[in-house]
Amino acid sequence: MSLPKMTRLLSRRPLVSIQQQQLPPSTLVPGRTLIQSEYRRPGKPRDNEPPWQKIKFDLSKGLEGVKKHFTLLKNELTGRWVGPEGKPIIEHMLEQNRVVWEFRGPESLQQWTLSSDREIGGQSEIYMELGRNSTSCLLYGTLCSTPPRDGETRYSGYCTARSKQPLASFDRKKHHDWSSFNCLHLRIRGDGRPWMVNIATETYFSHQKDDIYNYFMYTRGGPYWQDVKASGIIPFSKFFLTHRGRIQDDQHPLWLDKINTIGFTLGDNADGPFQLEIDFIGVCKDYAHTEEFAYEKYKRNPEV
Amino acid sequence: MNPYVLSILLMGLGLGTTVTFASSHWLLAWMGLEMNTLAILPLMAQHHHPRAVEAATKYFLIQSAAAATILFASSTNAWLSGQWDIQHITHPLPTVMITIALSLKLGLAPLHAWLPEVVQGLDLTTGLVLSTWQKLAPFALLLQISPEIPLLITSLGLISMLAGGWGGLNHTQLRKVLAYSSVAHLGWMMVVMQFSTSLTALALLMYVIMTTSAFLTFKLLKSTDMNSLAMSWAKTPSVTALAPMMLLSLGGLPPLSGFLPKWLIIQELTKQELGLVATVAALSALLSLFFYLRVCYCLTFTSSPNNLAGVAPWRLESKQISLPLATSTSLSILLLPISPAILSLTLPLF
Repeated sequence: MSLPKMTRLLSRRPLVSIQQQQLPPSTLVPGRTLIQSEYRRPGKPRDNEPPWQKIKFDLSKGLEGVKKHFTLLKNELTGRWVGPEGKPIIEHMLEQNRVVWEFRGPESLQQWTLSSDREIGGQSEIYMELGRNSTSCLLYGTLCSTPPRDGETRYSGYCTARSKQPLASFDRKKHHDWSSFNCLHLRIRGDGRPWMVNIATETYFSHQKDDIYNYFMYTRGGPYWQDVKASGIIPFSKFFLTHRGRIQDDQHPLWLDKINTIGFTLGDNADGPFQLEIDFIGVCKDYAHTEEFAYEKYKRNPEV
Repeated sequence: MNPYVLSILLMGLGLGTTVTFASSHWLLAWMGLEMNTLAILPLMAQHHHPRAVEAATKYFLIQSAAAATILFASSTNAWLSGQWDIQHITHPLPTVMITIALSLKLGLAPLHAWLPEVVQGLDLTTGLVLSTWQKLAPFALLLQISPEIPLLITSLGLISMLAGGWGGLNHTQLRKVLAYSSVAHLGWMMVVMQFSTSLTALALLMYVIMTTSAFLTFKLLKSTDMNSLAMSWAKTPSVTALAPMMLLSLGGLPPLSGFLPKWLIIQELTKQELGLVATVAALSALLSLFFYLRVCYCLTFTSSPNNLAGVAPWRLESKQISLPLATSTSLSILLLPISPAILSLTLPLF
């Protein structure tokens, strides 16, 4: 957004923020300083409107919401009589592959959230659209590792796409249960850049909110789709635990019964355009893969 | 875990339950319950996995809330009646509060929501301790105060049976299935408590034996979900043959041991002219039986050349001591023919 034009000089006044001049005095109250307060994008004015003033009543949207949530509830209750996750147990047991996300229509893009370092003042861009013939999803944009000039950020340059949390009826959190599977199967076509796959599981404490399990995904470029062992099929045993991007000393295997979201991040410090085409994201059971966890844990303070 | 620390924690667990058993004063009983809670917390969180720490935290919060309620109720009783004796709790208010607090401690419906999540976050050995040993002390207290509020006890029992049956229906994680099985069995124990405390004790004893067998079986097979159970024929064929018997015994089918407590409880309820309660109890057993049968199906009726449900394991010799599993499985299958002997041994005791 562009800055408003200054029509006169401010020589007699001390330099103040332009926003403070334009906002009415009643809103110049200190905002919440809690660590867990909602993120405010730099440059956006602080939102001090109380929640009850933000409600917008709309009868048709309300009726649509009622219909949607009660339909979901009905499906949950009837699915319960069929079997786990609405499928018969024999299907659950014999399932070897499951496609979780496939991009075949515009509604599939609504399940994803895009983000880049633009939120902290950087200049990277990321966009998502359907590929040719609506058979794939194309993530493209530009990476720019110039850090924002805010005096404290030293590094920058990331773009990410993350799936939204699955929701049950009445916006209750639901989780993906991938405990029958042991590998992540991606069919992708990239431009040679290294991406990172992030899986977020359900956590309990607020300080675990940013705990994510990561692994690398190397794309090969070229016209051929990738879904072979090298980089398209990633065993879950390879994922390592990080918190806010920092690899943790105390590593734990990824538990697959409560997965919340999956995401792809590009942050390879190479400025320029990027493209990643995704056909589908699925999970599979590789019978030959018996590893439970790829990383040995060493004592941090061994007795000598 | 360091063996000294482990032995201290296990001795703390044993001491806590023993103190509660031996107490006639509410404060001493409360102290025993607190010792049990605190001793099991490091056992729960020993692996430091985020889910294990979550389970330990949830368990601590629930048990502390229940213990605080017990303390408050016993203080209220002391204020109203002037004495702290466990068996002389007469005023309805503290009696109801203590019953609800002990139900929260045990995981009786409608206060059972914490149990599946906590058991799911633990390894199988700690889950076994939680499902068996940790039930003994609260039950000892409930047995002593049960005659005072029959309607509440019967309602809790019926709701637990139904909630345990319905709740366990669609889970594929074995620990959650065993947690709901625990809720359902606790319901059976509660429903007959006001008429015959010895039958409650017998039901508890049978439940402990069968649950021990179930947990040790899953530990031997290294299975925590139904798909990995499907490969048990490759690991230990003998256990694969006996485990369905043990699961059907949990479901209460004759001629297995698990039928004994259910039969006697239904008989007692019928004698007390509670035919409707007995009917609902018998029907709710069908719900639990369904998910036990489902586990049996996954365990036994899936084998090659069909598609394998689980990953083929290395066929290594197990280092687990087999005596507890062998004993508990034998007891959970073979005790029904000696029911008169069991009754003559247990009935006079409680």
